[in-house]
Amino acid sequence: AAAGLCPCRALLSRWVGPLRALCGSLRGLATGPETHFGFQTVTEEERREKIYHVFESVAEKYDVMNDSMSLGIHRVWKDILMHKMNPSPGTLLLDVAGGTGDIAFRFINYVRAARERQLQRKLRHHQNLSWQEIAESYQEDTLNSLGDSQVVVCDINKEMLKVGKQKAAHLGYSEGLSWVVGNAEELPFDDDKFDVYTIAFGIRNVTRMDLALQEAYRVLKPGGRFLCLEFSHVNNPLLSRLYDLYSFQVIPVLGQVIAGDWKSYQYLVESIRRFPPQEEWKAMIEDAGFFKVDYQNLNSGIVAIHSGFKL
Amino acid sequence: VRCQVCPPQRALQASAVLRRVAEEQKEPFSSSSQQHFDSHPADHQPEQDPQGPRPSYTGQGGQESEDYESEEQLQHRILTAALEFVPEHGWTAEAIAEGAKTLGLSAAAAGMFHSDGSELVLHFVSQCNTKLTELLEQEQKQVQLGEAEKKPTDQFLRDAVQARLRMLIPYIEKWPQALSILLLPHNIPSSLNLLTTLIDDILFYAGDQSTDFNWYTRRAVLTGIYNTTELVMMQDSSPDFEDTWRFLENRVADAMNMGNAADQVQATGEAVVQGLMGAAVTVSNAETSKGTK
Repeated sequence: AAAGLCPCRALLSRWVGPLRALCGSLRGLATGPETHFGFQTVTEEERREKIYHVFESVAEKYDVMNDSMSLGIHRVWKDILMHKMNPSPGTLLLDVAGGTGDIAFRFINYVRAARERQLQRKLRHHQNLSWQEIAESYQEDTLNSLGDSQVVVCDINKEMLKVGKQKAAHLGYSEGLSWVVGNAEELPFDDDKFDVYTIAFGIRNVTRMDLALQEAYRVLKPGGRFLCLEFSHVNNPLLSRLYDLYSFQVIPVLGQVIAGDWKSYQYLVESIRRFPPQEEWKAMIEDAGFFKVDYQNLNSGIVAIHSGFKL
Repeated sequence: VRCQVCPPQRALQASAVLRRVAEEQKEPFSSSSQQHFDSHPADHQPEQDPQGPRPSYTGQGGQESEDYESEEQLQHRILTAALEFVPEHGWTAEAIAEGAKTLGLSAAAAGMFHSDGSELVLHFVSQCNTKLTELLEQEQKQVQLGEAEKKPTDQFLRDAVQARLRMLIPYIEKWPQALSILLLPHNIPSSLNLLTTLIDDILFYAGDQSTDFNWYTRRAVLTGIYNTTELVMMQDSSPDFEDTWRFLENRVADAMNMGNAADQVQATGEAVVQGLMGAAVTVSNAETSKGTK
């Protein structure tokens, strides 16, 4: 039923895909391994390029579009992710495909609040210290309002990072934040470095998800946690139909009106449909070596948080 | 070669932390399984059995061994390590995070557990119950071997409950918090289960072999004694909790007497009834004799 409601664009691209694949295979193997871009079939290199261009063009309006498409609910999803992570002061977070910094800012807020609670508890225990000792500990604590927590925002797209840095300056986030350009399939970090690795709404844009998972495993410390927030498959049939209707009819139109870019948002909704369902993604995470892999559906499967540990 | 020979297991040997159970024994097969350790795992089977240690790949000698520990065992190790941080942080996720850090894991490993510290409390209670059972088992063996005398029931119960409550002493400051956690709705099935098993074990070793309604009465009474003594201990400030043990002694004595009291009440009741009957007979005889005069 949803297919009948799709705009002709999607139908056409479905025909173009196989045709192109046929031509590709005739041309020989020089074009590289085939993969998907939305509902089209492209080579891996083409896919990386196309996705880079998508995010280059939407970077400026990324946050506005997020708010209008999800009616602001994406903020709740990200808050739930942070609550699930429950980071303690001193945590080192790597936020991959973190572009505009939503997760990073939430992390800093959370850790700052946790640190304040920690300090208050310490003060209550400091009832019988001398004034000198209290003054000393107070000084070193106030200089350390984040408790040595740090977040590294890594993104392959420079435009998205630029927008993120501007937002940080605007909102007043300065310490504990770093911005690094990097590819999720090949992270520019050493082994066993981070406590938590998050990737929010980014993994479906990675061409080789298995490589990204292996890199995630590599850079995490033993005991570290992998958290993935991503659109997933809706299990409720009625909701699924409404969701499809909304995705294919409303979102690209919004994209055209607000960001002036129909195609990118068409790609967005198609890429969501292409992403593996919860159980399959869970199996892929387990294959990379993570333990205690589990997922939590939000809004009956519109979004799912997958979590795994490097044990 | 590796994949065909081995049972479809997940990549435990590629794990960074789950350690080998038999670390002390340096056997020849360990070097062959080291090779599995380094190569990248290629099987795609999801986890099958999270309970207990998993068998490893068969080594070149065709030997199978219990190799790496399971996640459950690692979780137990983390919780045990976390117990030493409870006096400082309370029964919370922070204590678990500190425990994880002492094992060389990241603090994020505390995310494996509930954020309210439930598992930590349940783990501790379960550990204490196990210790008590072992203690009672040992005592029973000594009695059987003739090394010690069999204690009278009330003494036995008193000692068992006291031994169990003494295990709380290191954590007594934060125990009220633990009690409140145990009463959370989602914890009640587990905590109730642990409590009933504890009481059952104590009465078993006390030699209770009743098969009638007494079975329930005894357990209900002992549960009551245990819980009230625990609460008294919370706010006891006497040296070495003397007041608590005295309270316990009195409660156990009361429970013992309860059986006697029931019989006494019945006997008194019967005596009273007989007296009344006798008086009634006397009065009616007096009436009839008056009438015939």
